[in-house]
Amino acid sequence: MSAGFHIVVCGSLVPDPLQTLEPIRGPQGPGLKNEMMLPAILDPWAGHALFEAANLAASGGKVWLLSMGPKAKLQQVMMSVAQKAPFELVVLDGPAGGFTDAHFTARALAEAIEGIAGLDRSRLLLFGGWQSASRGAGSTLQMVGERLGVLDQFQGVDEIRVQDDGAFVVKERVEGGGYLVSRCAGPPAVLGWATGNLPEPPNNPQLGMANMRLIMPALQRAEPVPAEPGGLSFASVELPKARRETRLVKDLPPAEVAADILAWIKS
Amino acid sequence: MEKVLFLAHNEEGGGLSRACLEALSAARDLAQGLGAELAVGLFGGEVSGAAEAIGGCGAACFLAAAGPVFASSRYASDAAACEALCRASGAGLVVAAADSRLSRVLPGVAQRLGGRIDTHLTGLWVKDGSPAAARWFYRQRMVAEFTRSERPWLMSVESGCFEAFDGPGAVEPEPVAVDLSEACKRTEVLGLETPSADEQTIRPDAELLFVAGAGWTKKQADGRTHVKEAEGLILDFLNRTKASLGSSKSLVDISGEGHEVISYLTHLHQVGQTGATPRHPKGLAACCHGEEPHVVGWRFIGERRAINLDAGCGWAQGKADVLYVADAFEVLARLNELLARA
Amino acid sequence: MSASPGSRDQEMERQSMDADIVCVGFGPATAGFLTTLCRGLAEAGAAAESAVMPGMPPQVLCYERAEDIGFGVSGVVTRARGIRASFPDLDLSRIPMAAEVGSEKVVYLLDPVGASRRSPALRLIERLIPRGRKDHAFELPWIPSFLRKEPGLVLSLGQFCQWVGGQVMASGLAQIWPGVPVAGPLFADGRVSGVRLADQGVDRQGRPEAGHMPGMDLRAALTVVGDGPVGPVGRAIDERLGLPAGHHRREWAVGMKMVVDLPEDCPLEPGAVLHTLGYPEPEIFGFLYVYPENTASLGIFVPSWFDNPARTAYRYLQHWMLHPYLWRYLKGGRLRSWGAKSLQESGRAGEPFLVGDGYARIGEGSGSTNVLTGSGVDEAWTTGVQLAEAVLELMAEKRPFSAENLERTYVARRRASWVEAGARRAAKARDGFQRGVLSGLVGMALAGLSGGALNWPGRSRRPHERIPSLEDYCRGLIPAEDLAALRRECAAKGAALHDAVMDRLGWPEIPFDGRLLVSHQDALLLGGKVQAPAGYADHVVFKDPSVCAACGTRTCVEACSGQAITPGPEGGAPLFDREKCVHCGACLWNCSQADPDDPEASNIEFRAGAGGLHSAEN
Repeated sequence: MSAGFHIVVCGSLVPDPLQTLEPIRGPQGPGLKNEMMLPAILDPWAGHALFEAANLAASGGKVWLLSMGPKAKLQQVMMSVAQKAPFELVVLDGPAGGFTDAHFTARALAEAIEGIAGLDRSRLLLFGGWQSASRGAGSTLQMVGERLGVLDQFQGVDEIRVQDDGAFVVKERVEGGGYLVSRCAGPPAVLGWATGNLPEPPNNPQLGMANMRLIMPALQRAEPVPAEPGGLSFASVELPKARRETRLVKDLPPAEVAADILAWIKS
Repeated sequence: MEKVLFLAHNEEGGGLSRACLEALSAARDLAQGLGAELAVGLFGGEVSGAAEAIGGCGAACFLAAAGPVFASSRYASDAAACEALCRASGAGLVVAAADSRLSRVLPGVAQRLGGRIDTHLTGLWVKDGSPAAARWFYRQRMVAEFTRSERPWLMSVESGCFEAFDGPGAVEPEPVAVDLSEACKRTEVLGLETPSADEQTIRPDAELLFVAGAGWTKKQADGRTHVKEAEGLILDFLNRTKASLGSSKSLVDISGEGHEVISYLTHLHQVGQTGATPRHPKGLAACCHGEEPHVVGWRFIGERRAINLDAGCGWAQGKADVLYVADAFEVLARLNELLARA
Repeated sequence: MSASPGSRDQEMERQSMDADIVCVGFGPATAGFLTTLCRGLAEAGAAAESAVMPGMPPQVLCYERAEDIGFGVSGVVTRARGIRASFPDLDLSRIPMAAEVGSEKVVYLLDPVGASRRSPALRLIERLIPRGRKDHAFELPWIPSFLRKEPGLVLSLGQFCQWVGGQVMASGLAQIWPGVPVAGPLFADGRVSGVRLADQGVDRQGRPEAGHMPGMDLRAALTVVGDGPVGPVGRAIDERLGLPAGHHRREWAVGMKMVVDLPEDCPLEPGAVLHTLGYPEPEIFGFLYVYPENTASLGIFVPSWFDNPARTAYRYLQHWMLHPYLWRYLKGGRLRSWGAKSLQESGRAGEPFLVGDGYARIGEGSGSTNVLTGSGVDEAWTTGVQLAEAVLELMAEKRPFSAENLERTYVARRRASWVEAGARRAAKARDGFQRGVLSGLVGMALAGLSGGALNWPGRSRRPHERIPSLEDYCRGLIPAEDLAALRRECAAKGAALHDAVMDRLGWPEIPFDGRLLVSHQDALLLGGKVQAPAGYADHVVFKDPSVCAACGTRTCVEACSGQAITPGPEGGAPLFDREKCVHCGACLWNCSQADPDDPEASNIEFRAGAGGLHSAEN
């Protein structure tokens, strides 16, 4: 019985994972060197959340994707994301970097959700990644949830099973490769997704075309959200320096390599 | 004057987890460095055992939000308990472990208190009379040191970064009343699903992390794949050494692509850029290849060794202590033989 | 209609969609096309109406194979005549990595290691060069005007394409969809009626599996083919229609390039341009363009007429960088980005039928590259602009995109333009290279200085007719039995031969520094960020495995830019690893075996594929 869900997926862009990242200090605080030139993707865990949302809403309901990031970069990323799942885009033209305070992001997102026309908060499922690949804090969604008064929250979610009575069972990752299984009476709820169980959907050009009719206007409408300095101040941001002296062991028979490794394991 | 609250929940058996004991050390050090008062806030089903386990920590007060309703890890009740403990303590600085239960609830608590939160700290100290912290950004690619002026400031610390506190003592925590509305009970915890000991391949407390790379499923010199053989060799090795299993992203992705797969591998095993960055004293990587973004999977591993056919392998060069240029299939087979004899 | 390459009958229903114009590939040509078209459509306003969605503006779609705009293209130096005409008030500060050409040098590099293969004639000429130079190089005192790019621009084509693409999309009048490989053209009633996208949710052989989605058919009144020289749509049209009489596509080169953070004390100024020749082999040309912020694009071109069957661009690139003349600038630098691309070097001789009913060809795949001036981007851009002007004209006249109308509007514009004039001057400029480097250089000079009236003749040969056996190539340098032993050693390791052969020929070991000089695999990861999404079929296919089994040369393995093609088991075809492919397309023309059914083609099929480079800095 997912017909009624109104799912808002919070997710922004992060650098494509294989890019070389280097911190720099700018007037607004730390950032990444060549940040605007780095190819970007939708934050992977938020991406999983979006696919799960689309899957849930396939039999009814609606999905919004709420993204805060530089408008030009978001436009680019949307050309890939738009082909994956049906959604309506809500854009905030603001910072998407990892050094932005989660508190600031949460406030901006919560205000944007409050402004979504047609959103029924009693049917709200607030989705997102359980952490971003930039800040990696795992705190924004909970704060957005609190601002919206949502008391049922789950993090590290890999599965949601909706039951006939509108309740749903959620599996959250816990220590040691296990899951905490909970049953929630129904929306509203916050779900911070881990990987989930769905594969990445194929690129669907028709979907892309349909999404695009709303994406471009949403991008054009996007209001700038200026960063606020707040009380967070960075003393330094550095790449790890330690480079190990790697001892190369070549031309040793496998049995001797095995013996060497065993001695090391036992040491 | 600053006041530091150490916030924790009890374990199933009644005590505190190692992660929480480590966080207590971080909180104590911070309080000491600031000349601040330390308070302890405990929540859970029954917290007296937990309180006694740390009774000697020197805290000025022990607060507790306990009872059956707080026994299970549920956001709404946990948030209410933590909020009450924080308010009762009056602390401006709150330190807790970044375990799954606290990581889920602390940001919401910070919001309720009108405070701020920083999570997954790997360092916490006092600099110029103020707290300073370190944490990693961009999936463990870069580390930052920072401070903040807002209070209350909630902080969660990563496991493996501080010594676990050891100092039991008799103590009777002071109960704190928690206003728990019916709305907080809409979620019912059904239980834990944990892999059986035999199926267990993620072992956070293991001495050794074994990282399997995509090379295990690639065609070998004979032009064929040997995935079943790889599966047997790896599992045998894990069972004999009780090592924890991690896997590169590419290997996990392959498993999801309908190729011949290593059957027991899931996304939970993934280490690196979009996976975990576990902490173990030793790590052995085999058939992994990759550069910076992938290698973060073993950034927090103490001693590192790798087996790879490519001497120039980016996973190992400059990042491992020893690189064995060898066929991992053969080495693991011999290693398992030796382990069987040992 | 016909099935497209790589397609097969599907049980699942194939979707189809109608558009007004569908473009294939977003390189400089399509960028020029869409920039001009969108401006024209914006000016036309409501007067320009979609035929498939009445009341809406024309539906213009562009599908790009790579996973983002500007992935996998190149650093360029260009006179930017066409680009500046489109952007008269061009503000370079808005385009990252762009600068005005400041200085230009052509440098002849001597061989400081003694391992390159130089003809006696070349050795004789080199004796005339003053000795004792520490940098083993000779700067030409004068650059012929046909080679000069001043006043021009150095650009990262990736960044330029992103800049243009962003504006095109923001106009709302065209959509550019990256990550969507186009399998091939659709033909109906003798005309190109659109394109078919690549199947998704298939295994490596193209068989349906989980998440199967047959590639959609996109039907459009006009298909704009801008998918480059190895693009599957352009090549499928060529296969079906053939090339105009006397035309061929036998000359190629692979450009392998890097973007490098130069060392802090590097004296090169933004806009500095270096062209090199002579080293690491006389047939290999090099370039270095300096961008702002102490960054440079550099690389080499390895041509199809370099008759070395173990031609590895990667190893040669490293030796080139280590040349003392260049290394003094590069030492201490750091690799930022890396990639490779095939260049169609047949020039006007490789021009296909530019238009037909329902389609038009633009850019490099349309033979627009000027092989005398070594300029392709500006020409490609301009052909796109010309087509857009033609399309706007036909739309205004409400005339169909027939061969005749496109000929009258697009082809006529092109023929009357500087692009065509330049192409004619360049038509035979490189023929001399068929006979050797010296005759090639003399031929280029003759053609350049005489405005194309003179040239050094040379009969063009198909790549597979040129590539000698390794034994022949190494005759007199490596004894046959040693070569056989190298073959055995490399086969046992499943490795390509080129490193062993080059070591044996006296090329020094590369001193890897983990920053700029890195292993080939690390260049893929560190520089190219190469990756491939799941669910697509292999796009490199060995047509007849028995031909491969009998092939002793296997240039495909040696030349593969990403080490994606490896020897494989004895008696079979080489192995292909999709996850390492950079989509340079060099395997297509580096195959030493002819297609049994088509002497102009090789035994390798290069289809539409997803993935590849993930860097937009190249």
